[in-house]
Amino acid sequence: MNRLLTSFKIGGGVIALGGVVSLVLAPLIGEKVFDFLWVLEPLTYIGGALIVAGLGVAVASYAVAERQNRSIQGLNGQYAGNSWSETTLQYFQPFDHDLGRPLRRIAGKERELRAVMRAAPGVADPGVIDLLDEIERQTPNFRLMMSNIQVLIQLESPDKDEPLQPVEPTEVVRRIADLYTAVAVEAGKEITWWSEPAELGLVYANSNAIEHIVTNLVDNAVRYAGTHVEVKLTKNPSHFFVRVWDDGPGIAQQYLQHLFDRGWTPEVVQREEKSSSGLGLFIARSLARRMGGDLTVESDNSADGDHHTAFMLSLPSNLTAPLNGLR
Amino acid sequence: MAKVNTGRNILIVDDESESAILRAVRRRLEEEGWRTVVVEPEPGYSVGEEFEAAALWSIEQDLPDAVLLDVRFGEHRDDQFRGLGILGEIVERWPKLPILMFTQYAQGPDRETAVRGSLQWDSPVDFIDKLASPDEVVLRLRRLIGTSPESIPIGNNILLDVNARLVYIGAGEDRTAALDIQGMKFEIFRELATSWYRSPGELVAFSRLERYSEGEDPRASLRVRIREIKDAIGKAMNTRFGPSELILNVRDQGYRLVPPK
Repeated sequence: MNRLLTSFKIGGGVIALGGVVSLVLAPLIGEKVFDFLWVLEPLTYIGGALIVAGLGVAVASYAVAERQNRSIQGLNGQYAGNSWSETTLQYFQPFDHDLGRPLRRIAGKERELRAVMRAAPGVADPGVIDLLDEIERQTPNFRLMMSNIQVLIQLESPDKDEPLQPVEPTEVVRRIADLYTAVAVEAGKEITWWSEPAELGLVYANSNAIEHIVTNLVDNAVRYAGTHVEVKLTKNPSHFFVRVWDDGPGIAQQYLQHLFDRGWTPEVVQREEKSSSGLGLFIARSLARRMGGDLTVESDNSADGDHHTAFMLSLPSNLTAPLNGLR
Repeated sequence: MAKVNTGRNILIVDDESESAILRAVRRRLEEEGWRTVVVEPEPGYSVGEEFEAAALWSIEQDLPDAVLLDVRFGEHRDDQFRGLGILGEIVERWPKLPILMFTQYAQGPDRETAVRGSLQWDSPVDFIDKLASPDEVVLRLRRLIGTSPESIPIGNNILLDVNARLVYIGAGEDRTAALDIQGMKFEIFRELATSWYRSPGELVAFSRLERYSEGEDPRASLRVRIREIKDAIGKAMNTRFGPSELILNVRDQGYRLVPPK
């Protein structure tokens, strides 16, 4: 088949070249050869037609060859050329690094300044400390946004599931709590986390994806909480669960169905400036479902003291995979 | 703040060790009582190769308690992931040495994920991004190194001495032992302090604490002991801790330590 297509490509090219030659020679030799003026026009027409036909054959051959090439590589699960998402990711990674550089400088200087002020207490204006706190508070936000973009690009790549690895969900939640505890304290809030049982053990999962989902949930909870955020880990024989609860004002029932829509934030309803991209929950649920789990929400926005929002992430523990030799 | 890790060494392998972000981390590590040793190779042909050789030599000479290792060394293409190569060398030769990888973003490039996957799941290797706060770096290192400290400072005025099994109140020469906190009460406070030291938001569930209480209603007995601990520390500090201060009952699930401000 390939050899036939190559012949077509060459044949088409030769025909088109013949057309060009005919066109060029028509005014020079047409009159001499046929000795009649009227012959000139037919030769020109023939040349033009040959060019069109030749180029048509060549282009069609290339198109067929390209399509065949893609279908063969697609069956193998790999494309010789990069998919859109892979190319975007490749461009994003150096960009990611470069974008982080000025922020690392800003955060570094802010932390140095804070250390200097700590060494001389009472000298600094409280307003300056508030400004430094604001820079520090925005840092996790920036980290999450960059991470969201990266995961969003990866989600567009359907063939690119990361292999399952042994993961301690307790350790993942501990890291996220560590990251957000300082942010919460500065905002006058607090995070408490625990697991039941205390030693939850290992599961087989994608560590990055769990960390990403729970980070989005905790980031949201800290933003909307009144004073408390709780993260609780539990498990049953087939799944493990992460429940992220906050004592914020709650979400009205009519908005709950839109919560996981791409780009939706509460400000959309109030026609205010968005405080977040509205991608976090969309990405979190997409990732959870891709791993065979789910992300659900339950909320109470009543005016009494029970108002709250709770997200429940459930993911398969995959504990049978190693036994079946699927690792 | 009392230093609790005197004598412990952290080796820092990073070509930007003098950057503001690294200086802030080093300052915080030193506050913690760790001694930071910075790898500073002679300038040579390749930044990555020089750092790799110098890091391995430094570990060989003076086995540190942990290594803080950058991933990217300079702008050369070969050095973009040089740190992962150095990590491989260290893990092969010193598999028990705790290593904290300093990356651009923890959930970053696929190569880091691949490296994570190629390690033993219980390898003392962790990844943290460079924007992490110095406190986060300290918490990760504490857990990687894994040993319980001999004393835990809780805020500026409370110090738990694990070996002497005493809780000290006050700072400097005015520090005195709160002698009312002994036996089961000391164990309860130690559990809470150790958990807080490992991760400040971690709650200690009732099931874990009730082993230090007795009687027909261990929950009630525990509640009484918690109140007594708070009163004893409050008395020594000339204050009284309310329900949401020092030791917090979280929604009837357990208790959590909250250092006094």
